[in-house]
Amino acid sequence: MEKSIENIWKEGFLKNDALVAPKINDLYNQKSIHIIDKFKRMFRINLIAIVAFAFVFLIVTFFIGIPIMGIMFFVTLMALVIINKKLLNGLEEIDKGSNSYQYLKEFNNWIKMQVAINKRMSTFLYPIMFMSFILGFWFKDSEGSLLGKRLVDHIVLNFPDLYLIFGIPLIGIVIVVLILSLLAYFGGRIYKWDLNLVYGRVFKKLNEILADLESLRT
Amino acid sequence: MSNDFYKTSILPFSGIIIKLCRGYTNSQEDFEDYYQEVCLQIWRSKDNFREESQWSTWIYRISLNVCLTLLKKKKKKGQHFVSDSLPAEETEDNYAFSDESLNLLYDAIRKLSEIDRAIIMLYLEEKPYKEIAEIIGTNPNNIGVRVKRIKIRLKNILDGKIN
Repeated sequence: MEKSIENIWKEGFLKNDALVAPKINDLYNQKSIHIIDKFKRMFRINLIAIVAFAFVFLIVTFFIGIPIMGIMFFVTLMALVIINKKLLNGLEEIDKGSNSYQYLKEFNNWIKMQVAINKRMSTFLYPIMFMSFILGFWFKDSEGSLLGKRLVDHIVLNFPDLYLIFGIPLIGIVIVVLILSLLAYFGGRIYKWDLNLVYGRVFKKLNEILADLESLRT
Repeated sequence: MSNDFYKTSILPFSGIIIKLCRGYTNSQEDFEDYYQEVCLQIWRSKDNFREESQWSTWIYRISLNVCLTLLKKKKKKGQHFVSDSLPAEETEDNYAFSDESLNLLYDAIRKLSEIDRAIIMLYLEEKPYKEIAEIIGTNPNNIGVRVKRIKIRLKNILDGKIN
């Protein structure tokens, strides 16, 4: 006679091996290693993308006659990449063998240090980029003379009373200095916004796991 | 997760968690992942338990929701696909009970839809229809009809395989 499914179920689970609970020990370790690996991967891709962009931009600016912008962008971005690559090497030194809490804590400290360094660099980075934009166009060749010079001549022709310093209208210098100051002041915030856009989800996950682990320790 | 919480609040109900997780996985590795995730979610959600239902009912609900969520995630990743119309993924050889009939029954259960799997496993655990309905979130009257249909389906799948 065929057994009913109720009997198969009951009798099957009477045997000792059927209900052995797995050990609960590795989940947080797996999650923490996974989240850091994900961050490293994203970080590396980001650096490669910056290098690729810097090269492409450099070539393009040569072709369209604003090489100064390209060179300044290239040098600035390369400096950024080199510093961040060095920071990334420091991340490799975090001991994967330590417990999850320590591992994530060290990673979190690394993130804080990385953010602090990049925030400081952003104070210079965005103004330099803006200046490279201005200088790039200023020194662009325009029918045998500099574009900036031609622009000033044109303005002076229309506004002959303009006060000039080294041949540049004072009002222009004031506006540029104002924009540079604003970029320097908000550079850190722009960087944080940019950072959250790219890594926001990873950081959120990291904070959740850390909060969980911290509540376990209390 | 504290050891005490696990021992006092989860371990006594580990049987049904194991049985449910087995119904949604095909390998030991997946099973361990599902089991750990269920335990973790129970621990994380413990403060949300408002004693409107029994602790056990609440645990079954979490177990089921976690299993369904993980299954969906896996399907999205294309690692796993089980449905009414397609054959279930092969079960790993080392992921078997010593009781051959139970293995065949589980293989048959894995061929059911996700909800039918939950209903039949809770039914086999002798949960009353009212509690099954509460866990699934449906009407108790529908459960009785559904259980009958699932049993016929399982019988057809197992026909001749078990003596």
